[in-house]
Amino acid sequence: MIDLIQNTIDGVMIGSSYGLLALGFTLIFGVMRRLDLAYGPSIMIGAYFGTILYLHYGAGPFAVAIAVVIGAAIAGIYVERLCFAPMKAGAAIASMVSSFAIWMQLEQAALLVLPRHTYPFPPLSTGAPLAFGPFLVRIDHLIMLVSTLGLTAVVHLTLHRTRFGLALRAIIGNPVAAHLVGIDVRRAVLVAFAGASSVGGAAGFLVLAVDQQVTPMFGMWATMKGLIAMMIGGLGSVPGAVVGGVLLGIVEAHSQWYFGPQIRDLVAYFLLFAFLVVRPRGLLGCPPDSVLPQKA
Amino acid sequence: MLDISDLVTAYGKIDALKGVSLQVETGKITCLLGPNGAGKTTLMMTIAGLLHPRRGSIRLAGTELVGLSPARIVAHGIALVPENRLVFPQMSVRENLLAGAYQRNDKVGIDADLERMYARFPRLKERNEQLAGTLSGGEQQMLAVARALMSRPRVLLMDEPSLGLAPLIVAEIFNIVHELNRDGTTIFLVEQNAHMALQVAHRFLLMEQGRITFKGMPGQLAEAEVIQRAYLGTRRAVG
Repeated sequence: MIDLIQNTIDGVMIGSSYGLLALGFTLIFGVMRRLDLAYGPSIMIGAYFGTILYLHYGAGPFAVAIAVVIGAAIAGIYVERLCFAPMKAGAAIASMVSSFAIWMQLEQAALLVLPRHTYPFPPLSTGAPLAFGPFLVRIDHLIMLVSTLGLTAVVHLTLHRTRFGLALRAIIGNPVAAHLVGIDVRRAVLVAFAGASSVGGAAGFLVLAVDQQVTPMFGMWATMKGLIAMMIGGLGSVPGAVVGGVLLGIVEAHSQWYFGPQIRDLVAYFLLFAFLVVRPRGLLGCPPDSVLPQKA
Repeated sequence: MLDISDLVTAYGKIDALKGVSLQVETGKITCLLGPNGAGKTTLMMTIAGLLHPRRGSIRLAGTELVGLSPARIVAHGIALVPENRLVFPQMSVRENLLAGAYQRNDKVGIDADLERMYARFPRLKERNEQLAGTLSGGEQQMLAVARALMSRPRVLLMDEPSLGLAPLIVAEIFNIVHELNRDGTTIFLVEQNAHMALQVAHRFLLMEQGRITFKGMPGQLAEAEVIQRAYLGTRRAVG
């Protein structure tokens, strides 16, 4: 019983970082209605910025965090300019394939700059875990959870309480109508991409600070985790992204405990498969027809 | 007010507009009739800046609009009520209206205009917090009109506002068009419903196969002929 609860606690903590990854993914998907496979690799580029600062200048965790977020935002803007801005409406496949090409390119770029397979990443906290009765909570896990809740609240309030958020939701609702009411759609999309990649960068920093190492493969890892959590939570839903991430984290923690790390990923993919078959819109996604303009 | 000359817009190699020239006069309702595929919606999208013309000019009170972004065109005073309304389905009625005022910064003026819209469209006030996607077709049309008015346009473009609506609702929409114009709004209306359109229009134009083929006043052409040409085009009417 204690194991069960401890595993669930760990799952929620790790899952919150998946939720944060999915949050950035959700913003990009919502605004573009296209899959950005280079989302994870953009975060990995940010992580390499941070690692370089750490290795060469001995930067502390805070400075590294800022560098990761800024680096990811710059990489996100690069991806948007190359894979999304030039593509005409309806060319969703072209965007997806070109984002795959950029993924490969970013991975190679990372290998050119830092050729070894792994590099150290600064830890967030090396203190002993906090004890709550029989249960232990790592301090960096706690920071992860709190950051996720905080950033989710920031994203939610931005979307629902600001002028820019109104513009983004209008674009998500109907891009043509967004043009017609005078929203500068191209600019808003670019800013949204930078913002979403920054959120992803924050998630990437938190994960890597727990792992204390970074590899070029982190990009693929981040894309996969973010994608699965987003699909489970519901395409286009901000709360759904976080809920999906937490659920994925809990399932992974338990399957790792009972079946070991190899089976863990298998279970995660099975969970995705089960959702796609049984409930393709995810936990909190809208029914597909309510998103489209209604006929009279 | 709106002065369009020799406008050519193409999809690939096919010219949808083949040199369109027309004027929309201040304070009047100008109505454009024509069969499906004549290029009416293409014309509206070109004026709004969503399609780029190959040549020609669109002047609003002397300012050239060709080449400006859709957002700049809204700022200059053009608002389009698009075909099929295109409300933002996952946003509330109120948020849809606020989005319509996106180009404006005068909070006091925006609030006053919100109240004016609620006064003119009481149904929208009742459904203020409801998601626009849950409104009926007629309510969505009113919302689309109110949203366009929130930008305080100098010319209101309307693309087939009666499309897919029940006859009673259509009458209500045309009543609104009439009232808006009586209060001073310049309106450029595209319609399939020739009968209703001729009742409100001060001037009307016929468009067939990308060209303007008739300009005049209602009554200048027998309604039967207008309807025939508006629905079928001249060729089949002659044949």
